[in-house]
Order: sequence, then C-alpha cells, then structure tokens
Amino acid sequence: MDFNFDEFLAWVGEDIDTLMMLIWILPVIIFVFYGQRIQLIISSNEIKKDIGKLEEYTASTKKDFLNYVKNNLNSKSDPSKKLDSFFDYFTIMPVDMDPNGIISKINHLVRSREDFIRLQITGMFSNLSSIELSKLQNLLEIVTTLQLFYKHTRHLYLTAKKQKNFPLILPLQMMIPFIMEEAVALKDAMPAIKNGQPIGDGIGPMIVGQMMLGTTKESAAFETVWSKTTFEDRDLFLLKAKGPNATVGRPGDGLEKIISIKKPDLVIMIDASLKLEGEDSASIAKGFGAAIGGIGTERFKIEEITTRNGIPILALVVKQSIHEAITLMTKEIADSAKTVKDELYEMIRENTTSGQSVLVIGVGNTIGVSQ
Amino acid sequence: MSKSKNRISTCYTSMECDSCKILKKRKFSNGDIVFSIPEGCSECDGKMLITKIFGVIMD
Repeated sequence: MDFNFDEFLAWVGEDIDTLMMLIWILPVIIFVFYGQRIQLIISSNEIKKDIGKLEEYTASTKKDFLNYVKNNLNSKSDPSKKLDSFFDYFTIMPVDMDPNGIISKINHLVRSREDFIRLQITGMFSNLSSIELSKLQNLLEIVTTLQLFYKHTRHLYLTAKKQKNFPLILPLQMMIPFIMEEAVALKDAMPAIKNGQPIGDGIGPMIVGQMMLGTTKESAAFETVWSKTTFEDRDLFLLKAKGPNATVGRPGDGLEKIISIKKPDLVIMIDASLKLEGEDSASIAKGFGAAIGGIGTERFKIEEITTRNGIPILALVVKQSIHEAITLMTKEIADSAKTVKDELYEMIRENTTSGQSVLVIGVGNTIGVSQ
Repeated sequence: MSKSKNRISTCYTSMECDSCKILKKRKFSNGDIVFSIPEGCSECDGKMLITKIFGVIMD
C-alpha cells in the first residue's frame, strides 16, 4: 500500500484531535506499562556509578594496606594471602528475640574478634610494636568495612535489576549518599592512620592527655591509662586510651577500676560528636549523659556503673562531620582544645564544691596523641 | 597527605617551648607525636613540646 502524505495531511487537517489524542495517549501507555522500568534504568545508572566508586575505593585501600605492610613490617612469610582472608571475615550478631543479656554477648563477641585479629597479626610479623599492631587493626577495619559496603550495595542493586523490581531499589537510592559519604571518609582516613597522625575523633584524648602531662600514669584497663591531679581543691581523675596507639581503649573498664579506688562525685566525658547539617565544625556543645559512640557496649557499661553509684554524667562535645572525625585532625578542631578545656574547668566549678572529686574521660581514638 | 575531590591536606606540627613559650610550626615529619619532645628550643635551653598536629586543606 502506498502512503500518500498529502492525503494524510488532509485527513489530519480534518481531524486534528485524533492526532493529538494519539500523541498524548502513547506516552501514557508507555508509562503505565514501562514506567517502573524507566525509573529503574535511570536510578540504577546513578547507583551503578557509585558502586563502581565503592569497588575502586575497596581495591585502592586494599592495595595501600598490603603495600604498607610489605614496606614497613618484617613478616615471617608472605602476609598477603592471610591478610586477604581477613577482609572477608564477618561477625554474626547475637539473637535479639530475647534481648535480656544481649550486651554482654555483644561485648564478648566484639572482644573475641579483636583478640583473634590481634593474635593472628602478631603471629605474622616479628618485632611488631603495639603502635604498629593497633594501626594494622585500624587499617584492616577500614578495608573490611569498605568491602562490606561494596558487597552489600552491589547485592541490593543486582537483586533489584534481576527481579526488575523498582521498589526494591528505592531504599538503596535513599541510603547511597550516606554510604558514599562514609566510604569517602574511610578511604581518606588511610593516610592519617598509616602516618600515625591524630584524627578529629582524637580531640577528647588530646585534651585529657594534655591535662595528664607531668602526672604519674597508671594502667586502668586494656590500652587505657589514668592519672590523678588537682584543680581548685578538687581531685581530678583523668582517663583516656593509651596513646599514641590507634585505639579507643576500654573506658568502661577504666571507670570500674577508678570507682574501686575512689568514687567520684561527677563524671565528665569529652568526645567528638557528629555535627548536624548547618552546624559549624569544631563548635562546642555541652549536655548530659555518656558521650561515647561505638557499638554501645562501653556506653552501656558506663551508664550502668554511674547509675548504680548515683554519679551524674555531663558531656562536652566537639562537633564535626564524619569525614573530619576519621581523617587528619583539622586546624579548627585542634584549636578548639583550649576553649573545651576552659569550658571543662567552668563545668567543674559550677557542678562540684571544694573537696569533691571529678572523673574526666577523654573519649576517642588516640592515634598520634600521647599523654 | 590525603586527596579528596582535588583537596590536598598538608599536615603540620605545632610546638611550644616549655621555658620561653616560643611557638613554632613546621611540616609533619614521621615519628611526631602530640605531647612528645622531638627537639630542644633554638632560642633557649628549653624543650619543644608538640602541642598540635593538624591538617590544612588547600584547594
């Protein structure tokens, strides 16, 4: 059949509404039947790019980590294969159907994992110092977390693609900016950890470490030190992780030890805190309660001990982004130390009287910060 | 030094003499630790205490 364009135009001229109807109905039909697929294609393309970045970050940090080990440590045999197997280690959290007693189970699990990794790494290298060991643990944690991010995002993405299920990709689309923010921070944390430089999270230990200068330091718990000083007729007990190791120590156990020596009248915790959008970096905030992050076991212990002994807890935090918290300490954060110390002394004056005692805990990773 | 979105962070070590209180800033060198004493004071017989180690971002 020959198509006569002139005849078609004449027909259109007679009935323009029919053509318009066709023009409008076609996209509607396409969107009714293929709308979700189109959205899936658009969303998945964006997510695919981010997954590519996550893969790149995992590979580059892994390479960085293995190069660091090869260039800086004396290993008894090639460590690459064994370290490679650590990257895929996973942790099965305890059953939470009956939450009674779950904290001690999580605590046991986390500490067993740390002990195992510590033992395995120590066995691989000769003359490994405790600083290097803690740095290796941190570096390993970075690579493992990035690998976990990559594998889980890829899993969700591929499942949504395989099932051609648009709603399945929505949670991932919402979460991916936060995952990427943390992934970039983890990737950028590598140089500071390798060089043993302080990170933003170390502001608490840095302030308490400065107060500890010239005092006699004693072990309070594993990788945790304490000392005693005085301030305006008050006894000050100072507690922090043992620097310059890349560790947060065990402040819960440390608190338990100090309480067995002398019960303080007040506990003040100094920590880094994630800033809310719109808040300034290195701004200082005061509040109530145990200022400590992590999985929650240390906070539980501190809350439990202070509640049992009727000791109030005050918090002093330095606001920062996740990137600032785990990468090289910025000048603004380092400069905030003096103001935080002034606030701390003001807090002690306002909340205690002469003759009372205060426990000050510097919470955070004390890498590159001694005492 | 770390790189992210073309931002390079340079690490500096800040020191203070425990005697004459003179302040000095230099680029970070391996082994620098906050509250350690890496060197003596060039102005007096005091010791230089590392008070800060921080990064400055240059776009």
